[in-house]
Order: sequence, then C-alpha cells, then structure tokens
Amino acid sequence: MTVGGGPVVEEEKAEGFTIPPDVKQLGIIAGVISAVILIFPGLPAVIKAVGLILALVWGMDSVRKTSKYGLGTGVPSIGVLAMGYGIVGALVGIALVSKVVSKVGDSVLAPAAALGGVLLMGVVGLVSGVLSNHEKIIGMKIPKLEQGMTELGMAGTLAMLLQFSIVAGSLEFGVVLDKAISNGLIAVMFILSCMAMFHPYNACLGPDERRPRTMIVSVEVSGLLCVILGIVVAAVATTTWGVSGVVDGVLLVIFGAVVWLVCFVKFVRMCFEEAYSTVGTGMIKTIE
Amino acid sequence: MPIEIAMLFAWMLLIVFLALVACMFEDLESDVGSQSNPNSQVQLAPQVGQVHRFFNKAISGEAPAYALYCTVAGVIAWVLLSKGAHPIIAIPIGAVVGEAVHLIFSVTAHVGRTTAQKRFEQPIYLDVLYGHIMPIATHGFMATLCITAIAYIQSNLGTLSGNPGLDHPFALPMLAFIWGITVGAIGSSTGDIHYGTEREFQDRPFGEGKRVVYHGKITRYADCGVRTQKDIAAFCAKFGGPCTGLTFGVIILFENWRTLVGMQVARYLPNLEAAAGDSAAVIGIVVGLVIGVVMIVGNLVLVRWARKRYGTFVGE
Amino acid sequence: MDPILILVCVILGGVLASLGVHLLPVGGAPAAMGTATGVATGTVMLMFGAAMCGLFTASSVATFSDNILLVSLSGSVGSWLMMGVTMLVANVIYVFGTGIVPVSGRVDVDPITKEPQKAYKTPQCDGHGVPNVSYISGMVGALLGGFGGAIMYFGLLNYAHFEETMAGIAAMGIFVANAIIAAYNIGGTIEGFQDPKFKRLPKALVSCGVISLLCGVLVVLVVNLGGLTG
Repeated sequence: MTVGGGPVVEEEKAEGFTIPPDVKQLGIIAGVISAVILIFPGLPAVIKAVGLILALVWGMDSVRKTSKYGLGTGVPSIGVLAMGYGIVGALVGIALVSKVVSKVGDSVLAPAAALGGVLLMGVVGLVSGVLSNHEKIIGMKIPKLEQGMTELGMAGTLAMLLQFSIVAGSLEFGVVLDKAISNGLIAVMFILSCMAMFHPYNACLGPDERRPRTMIVSVEVSGLLCVILGIVVAAVATTTWGVSGVVDGVLLVIFGAVVWLVCFVKFVRMCFEEAYSTVGTGMIKTIE
Repeated sequence: MPIEIAMLFAWMLLIVFLALVACMFEDLESDVGSQSNPNSQVQLAPQVGQVHRFFNKAISGEAPAYALYCTVAGVIAWVLLSKGAHPIIAIPIGAVVGEAVHLIFSVTAHVGRTTAQKRFEQPIYLDVLYGHIMPIATHGFMATLCITAIAYIQSNLGTLSGNPGLDHPFALPMLAFIWGITVGAIGSSTGDIHYGTEREFQDRPFGEGKRVVYHGKITRYADCGVRTQKDIAAFCAKFGGPCTGLTFGVIILFENWRTLVGMQVARYLPNLEAAAGDSAAVIGIVVGLVIGVVMIVGNLVLVRWARKRYGTFVGE
Repeated sequence: MDPILILVCVILGGVLASLGVHLLPVGGAPAAMGTATGVATGTVMLMFGAAMCGLFTASSVATFSDNILLVSLSGSVGSWLMMGVTMLVANVIYVFGTGIVPVSGRVDVDPITKEPQKAYKTPQCDGHGVPNVSYISGMVGALLGGFGGAIMYFGLLNYAHFEETMAGIAAMGIFVANAIIAAYNIGGTIEGFQDPKFKRLPKALVSCGVISLLCGVLVVLVVNLGGLTG
C-alpha cells in the first residue's frame, strides 16, 4: 500500500502557463471555475461535469502534494478525510442556499450561498492541518500540510455540491434531500469521489511517478463517475435544463464515456511506453 | 399485517449464507489480484532486486475498494428496481457494472505501479495483465453479487416477511456501502494473513513470524516455472478463504440473530408492539455481551494451547 | 432541536472514535507477514468497519427504541462482536495456518494474564498474532468506538432531525475524519494500551475534540438554516 522509494525530489516550477497547469495554477483555475459553475444549477449536466472534473483533479493534486512525504497511514486515508469533510460542507452549503431562498425568494444568485459552505470547510481543514502539524500537538511535520488540508476541505465540498447539483438539478435543501441523499446516492458519490482523489497517486506510486501521467488517471476516474451519475440522472431525476432529465442524463453518459475512454487508452499507452519494458511474456531475473 | 416469524428467520439465515460466500470470494479475489497489505511485499520485491510476475493491484485497502464496487452495484440495482425490474435481473446486472469498474481500476493500478518502478527493471508482462482479468472479475462478481443481495434483502426484510415496518431504514446503496466496507475490513484482517505469511514466503520455515530481513524476497517460483497469482488463489482457497467467509458469516449471524431474538422474546413480534421496543433492545445487548465474553475466553484458551503445544522459540 | 445535545453527541462520538483507534491492536502491513503484533489491516479502515457494523445494528434498534443509552449500547455491542470474531479467526489462522504463537513485541510480560512473551517471539520480529492483552484492548476499543458512532447517529437522527440515511452518512463522515486524525497521531500501527505509543492519547483527544466541536457547530448551522424540525 504505502511503500516509498528513493528520496523526495522537489519539482521545478514551470515558467508561465503550461499544459498541464502546475500545482499553484491548477488550484486557482480549478477553484474559480468550479465555484462559478456551481452558482448556476440550471446549467446542463455536461458543463457541471467539467467543473466536477476540475474539482476532483485539484483534490488529487493536494493529496499528491501531502502524501509525498509519508503520512504513515497511507494515501487512501487523506482522500477519505477530504470527502468526509466534503459531506459536512455540502450539507452546510445547501442549508445556506435554502436560508437565502427563504429570505430573499428565488433569486438567480441564491446558489452562491453554497460557497459559504466551501469556505467554512476550508477553515475546518485549516484547523485540522494546524492541529496535525503543530509540534506540540500531533506533530506530523509535513511541509504545507495546513495548505493541503485546507484545499482538500474546499475541493471535497465543491465536488460534492456539484454532484448534488447534477443529480438533483438544484441546490435547495429539500430537493437535494429527496433526490440525492434519502435514496442513498450520496454513498456512491462519496466513494467514487474518494477514489478519484486518492487512486491516481496510489496507483502510480513509485520513484518514477510523473505528475502529468497521474493527472490523466484522475480525469479518467472522474469520467467514470460521470457515467454512473449520468445513468442515475437519465433514470430518475429531472433537471432544470430545458428538456427532460433523460436527454440530460444520456448526454452526461456519453460525455463521461468519451472522457473515460480517451484518458484510459492514453494512460495505458503511456505506461506501456514509459515502463522499463513491455513484453508479451518472459522469465524473471534476480538483481543482486 | 403480522410478521411471519418463520419467514423472517429464514430470510435471516439466507443472509448469513450469502455473507459466508461473499467474504470467502472477497478474500480469494484479493489474493488473485494481490491487494492490500501483502501487496506491499509485491511492491517491495523489485526494489530489492527480485523481479516478479505477480499482479500488482494497488487500488487501496480492501475496505474502500469493496465499498466502491458494492456501492456502484447497489446504485445500479436500485436504479433498475425503481424502474420496476425484478430483483433477479437488477441485482446481477448491478454486480456486473460494479465488476466492470473493478477491472478498470485494476488495470490502471497494475500498469501505473509497474511503470513507476522503471528504475528497478520490472517489466510489464502482458500475459500477466490479460491472464488475471478473468479470475479477478469472476471472484469479485461473486462477492459483489452476494453483498448486493444481502443489501436488497435487508432493506426489504419486513416487506418480504409480511410487514414493511421491519425494513431497515437505510437505503439500498447505503447498506451496500456499509457491508462493502465491513467485508473489505474483515477480508483484509483475516485472509491476508494466510496469503502474506504463508504463501508469499513459502520457502521460509513454517512456524515462525517472517523476519524483517525476509521482506521483499518473496517466493517467485512455482511448483513448475514462475509463480503468478493463479498459483496463489488455489492454495489460499483451502484455508484462508473459507476462514474469512466463516468470519463474516458468523458476524452477520450474531448481529441479526440477537436483534431478532430480542424482538421475539420481548413480544415485539409479530405485530410490532411499540411498548416492547426497549426490552427488545436490552435483550439484544445482553445476548451480544455474553457472546463476546465467550469469545474472550475462547481466545485465552487458544493462546494458552498454542503456547503449551508449540513451546518457546527454538533456533536462532 | 437542542443545540447543546447535538454538540455533546457529536463531540462525544468524535472523542470516543479517537480513543477507540488508540485501543485497537493494528499491525498494518507487517502484521500480514507475521512481523508485527495486531490485526493485519489499516487503523482507519478497521475502526471504520467496526463502527459501520455497529451503526447498522444501532439504526435498526433506533426504529423501535427511543432510549439514547440502549441505541448506543446496541451499536457498541455490534462493533464488539465484529472485532471479537475477526481477531479470534485471525488467531486461528496464525496458530493453525502459519504455526505462530501469538505474542506481543512491546512488553515482556502480558499485563493481564501475566504470561511471559519474549521466549515465544521469533527473533527480528516485532511480535506476531493477537495476544490476550491486545485482544481485550481491541474489544474495549471496538466497544467505545461503536458507542461513539451510534451516539453520533442518534444525536443526528433525533436531536438534529436528519433523515435516517442522511444521519447515517453524516455520522460516518464526521466519525471517519476523527479516526483519521487519531491515526496520524499513532503513525499507523499500535499494539493496544500496553504499547508506549498509547501515551500520546491526550493529544489526539484534544485534536479530535476540537474538530468534532467545529463539525458539531456546522451541524447545528445546518439544522437552523435548513429549517429541520421534528
């Protein structure tokens, strides 16, 4: 599960904007775009899915940043922590939206109140990072753990809120409760988002791990999540985007399937090229 | 509508048998696609110079991984059930989709981890990759199918026995999630010992813990030729797998049985008398505590027997 | 809606989660190879699995009982049984499947049964199996952890008026966050209360208390803003 190999090498900061974006740029881009998409729950599911993918890749990046230094308990736990915070934050977010709606009526910008949940969860993440890293308390001594945990709190909440918005079509408390939480869908959202955050780094763990390759896996898992959500939307929910939920859901399934297929094939091909060697079969050797 | 007591206990026994099968196949699947704790040795082997032909499936611990497959299966089954499909169709289709997700994650994990070990000269053997897809999928399918069936029966226990008031309050995907985590945690705690301590280090002496200096130097050769996971599952199916299945079956048996016995003795059944609720809970708790104390005594006896029979450590 | 009761339930649940994590004997990956004492899995996942098992029973009992003590005890007994059976069968596999005597690597004499440990231990190993002291420590840890999970669920169900699945998943989310922070404190593996690492417990209790307090405040916020009433 967690076996590190070799010393940790700090990555060079790229100059200017690169594809894929470097750690700092990705955080800002993902955070801003997902937040903006969140404010309009009337958008088609495919656009919300783009925001979801960005939020999950941002979360994966934070997991990767913090786990590089050896957490002791393994990579999966910090991903689960992020989504645990994500659940609480998302509940706060939708409750805030309901309060605003009940106070000022159904305004277009009412869903922006959900961002309050995101910020509150960022604060909780910051507090847990401080408690974990401070030498008088738990004292993990991992560089930038506070920043990492803050980002994880926010990314988890954004991801969960966007998924609520995709499945329920709105961010109001009662609607979300009925369509996404009481029927148990929140469980699959939780675990697949956890996987999207920690599986890429866990699956590519090793001394020759390369960030662009790891990011492709994150997009691939997010594509898979979109397929599952799309099936659910096509079957049961009704969205507020123009046509009935079935069209929206089918479009989401197609989008997710295309994203998944492209990234999966690309990743596997890249691995076959970059591995030590890829052989049909062969004997093994022992290196003394 | 009164509950038919006999039907209730019959469904409960069916859940126990399904649990036994589920956890046995879960452990065998985690041996076929090396997952969780013993996989750390498969990961370590190239780093100490031992190139191997094992399937390095490093998805995560077994608990979140099984939570994933079972929850996906539960959601798809729930979608089909809500559209009016019969459970006999919905549950296997859900399990198939869950297994498809499983395979995707397995492939990315194996190739990803092997690529990241480029400097240790570990190649990707394509026949290892392709040849283990079927065993992983089929073993996992059995486990996921049984867990989804358990979740379905539990969320409809009352409806199947006469009174919907006895249905479990959690939704089906949530129940599948809970049992997925539990089955993964149990399989990881019990079955992995047989795989890790015994089969992975088969050429080391039997009857002692595996010393730190052995770590990484796993047994890479089989009865004939080079070992892969297919040689491992057959061995663990004779001891580790069934023991793990027994664990989960017994746990589910105790959990459900003591609740139902409590309800029966306190006369909460067959008409769900609200007044008997508290005493039903008390009886359930007392029965559970007694069983736990018996197990503590059992462990005392077992450890004492092992110390007497095996004696102190001989050799250096 | 009673904010104080909600806060008490959430904080108690979180603190008991961290206490339970410190009491469970977890050996991690080395235990699966017979190199370390304890159950061969990860700390967080084992506690999570045990608490989930308890939560399942607690939620069925909550449908017919309104007593907070009875519901929480049902949850704790559920976890206690799960850990008991798991550790017992693990010992069976160690003793009969691999021929190992369960001994502890951190103490020379078992604090509960006074059995000497060192003579039975394999050299260059940090103990193996689940000896009696770890077994009892694990049972108590599961009892407390299950109690914490169930009381958090009860608080969210009856005082915060969440619906069952929502209360279950919210309780699970807060519980697992506390368990993970506590697992950071012990660095991943611990043998039980006899392990020297157990002395680090107060730091984890404080951290988990603070985080549970924050989560509890957020839950009260959700109840207030979402307009959840009985």
